Amino acid sequence: MKNKFKNIIWLPVFALLAFTIQSCEDQFEPAGANSKADETPPMASFSYSQGQGDGEVWKDYSFANLSTSATTYVWEFEGGATSSDVDPTFTFPGEGLFMVTLTASDALGVDSVFSETIEVVEPEIPNAIVPEILEPSFEDNSLADGSGDGRDSWRNSALGGVIQITSSPVQNGSQAAKFPSAADRIAYQELTVSPNSDYILTYYYTLKTNNSGSVTVSVLAEGGHADLASALAAKIVDFEGSDQTSSSDYVQVNIPFNTGAQSVISILITNQGEEARVDNFSIAAQ
Amino acid sequence: MKNITKHIKKLNILIIAITLFSCSEDFLSPAPTSALNAATFFETEADLEAALVNMYDGIQGVNSTQSNDNHAIQVEFYLTEMRSDNTRTKSSEGEAAQFESYSIESTNGIVDDYYRSFYNVIFRANTVLAHLDVATSENLAKIEGEAKFIRAYAYFNLVRLYGDLPLVTSVISPVDTDIQFTRVATSTIYDLIETDLSTAIGGLDNSSKLRGSKAAAQALLAKVYLTQGANYTEAQQLCEAAMGSGFTLEPNFKDVFYSELNNEIIFAIGYQEDSDDSQNFSAEWLNAVGRTSGVNYTTSDVRTALDALGGNRTLYSYRVDTDQPTQFQVVKYLPEDDDALGITSNVTDRTKAGNDWIVLRYADVLLMHVEAIMAGGNDTSVQAALDSFELVRLRAGLTADADGTITKQELLDERRVELAFENHRLFDLIRFGEAQNILSAFSTATGGSFNATDLLLPIPQREINLSLGQLTQNQGYN
Repeated sequence: MKNKFKNIIWLPVFALLAFTIQSCEDQFEPAGANSKADETPPMASFSYSQGQGDGEVWKDYSFANLSTSATTYVWEFEGGATSSDVDPTFTFPGEGLFMVTLTASDALGVDSVFSETIEVVEPEIPNAIVPEILEPSFEDNSLADGSGDGRDSWRNSALGGVIQITSSPVQNGSQAAKFPSAADRIAYQELTVSPNSDYILTYYYTLKTNNSGSVTVSVLAEGGHADLASALAAKIVDFEGSDQTSSSDYVQVNIPFNTGAQSVISILITNQGEEARVDNFSIAAQ
Repeated sequence: MKNITKHIKKLNILIIAITLFSCSEDFLSPAPTSALNAATFFETEADLEAALVNMYDGIQGVNSTQSNDNHAIQVEFYLTEMRSDNTRTKSSEGEAAQFESYSIESTNGIVDDYYRSFYNVIFRANTVLAHLDVATSENLAKIEGEAKFIRAYAYFNLVRLYGDLPLVTSVISPVDTDIQFTRVATSTIYDLIETDLSTAIGGLDNSSKLRGSKAAAQALLAKVYLTQGANYTEAQQLCEAAMGSGFTLEPNFKDVFYSELNNEIIFAIGYQEDSDDSQNFSAEWLNAVGRTSGVNYTTSDVRTALDALGGNRTLYSYRVDTDQPTQFQVVKYLPEDDDALGITSNVTDRTKAGNDWIVLRYADVLLMHVEAIMAGGNDTSVQAALDSFELVRLRAGLTADADGTITKQELLDERRVELAFENHRLFDLIRFGEAQNILSAFSTATGGSFNATDLLLPIPQREINLSLGQLTQNQGYN
């Protein structure tokens, strides 16, 4: 019993002594050597977006601060301007490359720096695509690589037979397309266009005068047509030319149309009742 | 003592007997003959139909004031309208007021409510998709389309609110933690949304407004494209397809909200008054009728816009709170009579309102059509856009666009006053690239603390805790 008591007495004494020694050691340690590291140092980051709207709004940029574990921010914009806002906006003087630097700091004085070079460009209002009609005048060797029989770009065997070529009469160059009176041949070509844009398709035609007849040029929505009935059902606009005043003089036709919700359209040419000739296609954006 | 020993011996025998019996599997897991369970439930198409309806039940949410229930779309206004410049709490109280001041905590219960509600909806849709094998070939495409429409709708809401998300495309169990707690990039989420909606467009028809339909899927996919700032021509085609499906604007703006399932509605979440299928958001918008003292009260900012640009819509958009005349309530979705406005309601208990929640309506599609034609530009003068814009303006008692050119600002303003308090404003601001400018100015004026990182909600802290830290938090939240 006595021994036990002795132990109980000594235990706190030793403990106290131990703590004291320990705490003394701490005190005389050089500052910082045993202190905790900054476990959540700041990490600077940002994104930005260009202003959208009329006039000079394109020069106004909004910055979104994506930094973590930071409390204060310094933004530097090339040219000398600074800001300490969290999410600043800045108006650049004009087009060019500008460096933007964000320094994010926490309360312990730890910094993180993030820089990005921004290319400021005035957005251009895109002009409507001007599509290229291939073999527009049905001439031999008129494709970009110097090949072509004048009708290679106009074939679609699912819709009808291939057109014939005539050398007289022509409206332009030395050849024109010929649609015999059997009316079982077609010409077809797909064009890439801008949606919701106004275009004018121009061409020339002439009809023989033995029988009553006509030649129809249709502008179809979309491409990939493989059935004549459904192709004609997709028409945006068409024009049926039936001027039979002269079998040798060409008549000019202008078809204005709007592409609507289409980025691809097709041209389809058919004839009815009499031999027809067609020449010199062109298309212009309005 | 001896007796007790005897009894213990008897007991031992009994225990041994039970143990022996329990070796039989039937004893441990008997298949119930009078009830349904997950393993045996899906046997016929009728079971799938029940599972489809269950998805809408999930979106509808529970009408209760219990924080632990899933309230789903009934709390959506907190995360959208009250985080925009349109509405606020009446008394700036509680966690509901975190939204208007842009000081949302990751522990906010409403943020968690919506997140778990819509993941639950995704689970319900995935459950349907997991059992498509019992569908007849005749109805397979429709059932699959409907489930995928709802899954896309849920993901589209979540991805716009929370950013990167866990991608769950099958029925998973609690041990599938990698799927549950790994966030994938928004672009991957959008890929799923687009694929699902394309499937839905192919499989659905326009036979219902309260369930997924072809037109609803077309309109939603158009909005998905516009949100990503891509595929404007496809978006325009989708709008035009939905526009050609027989919907028309209600001549009287009031009827959009007080004539259920009218010609303008493309997709709505149905509610039935005074029943378990009722909703309480209508009551929360009134003065101390619901659990709150009043939320989704209009800001002076939105009233200024409505007064200037609303035409005859203004009357049916906000009204004076007669109990507190300095405050103004939302008029859309009222669960009570308003004699001055000619609004009647047949609900007995206002906290059990039957007003359907409109998700998609024709006016929204018409204005999306203008937006698709504008195609990210600053304005448009295309006739098709002017025509759609004019339809919306004429119904509001206004005239067509005066100068024949619709600017981006005019379109944003028109959407604001047409679709006020229908949970569009925040998404519109973000989609138009104006959220940071407008909301920081609004927040400065109203004493809030808006930062760019407030455009996303925090991932609920509860989810992060469940994931044991595997789920990462959004920037700007702790």
